[in-house]
Amino acid sequence: MRRRAFLKGIGAIGAVALLDIKVLAKDTKPKGKNAITFKKALEVITNGKGAKTSDKVKLIVPEIAENGAVVPVKVNVEEPIENVKSIHILATKNSNARCADVFLTPRNGRAYFATRIKLGQSQDVVAVAVLKDGSAIMASRPVKVTIGGCG
Amino acid sequence: MPKRKSLIKIKPRKYRVGDIVKVDFIVIHPMETGMRKDKKTGKVKPMHYINEVKFYFNDELFTTVIPWETVSTNPYFSINMKVTGPGVLKVVYKDNLGEVHEKSKKVKPKG
Repeated sequence: MRRRAFLKGIGAIGAVALLDIKVLAKDTKPKGKNAITFKKALEVITNGKGAKTSDKVKLIVPEIAENGAVVPVKVNVEEPIENVKSIHILATKNSNARCADVFLTPRNGRAYFATRIKLGQSQDVVAVAVLKDGSAIMASRPVKVTIGGCG
Repeated sequence: MPKRKSLIKIKPRKYRVGDIVKVDFIVIHPMETGMRKDKKTGKVKPMHYINEVKFYFNDELFTTVIPWETVSTNPYFSINMKVTGPGVLKVVYKDNLGEVHEKSKKVKPKG
């Protein structure tokens, strides 16, 4: 039953990590062609204004991802679709912090996006929604990764 | 240009005019990050990823997705769409090596 004990241990760590959610993790050294740090990516997306944490962005990610290569991410923005311009998914410690940018129009009906991303290590996943007036709201959640998916 | 398998799913399967449906799009694509090494040759595999996905309804662009190489292998994108009538849903995607593919599906609302 070693595996079970091990998994329980990880669950405990995840619970602790949930208690102190830190949105801005320390930037790691980027490498690769498209590399961009989380701070810079957020600046580019929000035009340097930064984003406010809001309950209106619902980000659904698993607490523990056994395989970092496939981490399902779901974002729901509870704002009328006319107000939402774009949704961005970011990972704080990936060498390229950007995961996906989605540009929406009223035909979408609801501001919703889902995809699967790779995570190199345990980190925060952040969803940013840029609204029509130029302001941005975001939500972040930590994800524990047992096997990295970028290496 | 290699042939790529892709799939469009509309959920739920039965829908009416005015409903908001979920559109799932899946492609079989390696999505190389440019950081992985080939185990046999020891060389770094070059970057190869989808960098643009466009959703059209009756040739009218309604959603653009810009994925980066951090999206998983065989990517899956899911968005919502409001059904305004019958038509053709078309998805065009490009990757960084210049491959362009498209896939379409008929939208047939009932009632």
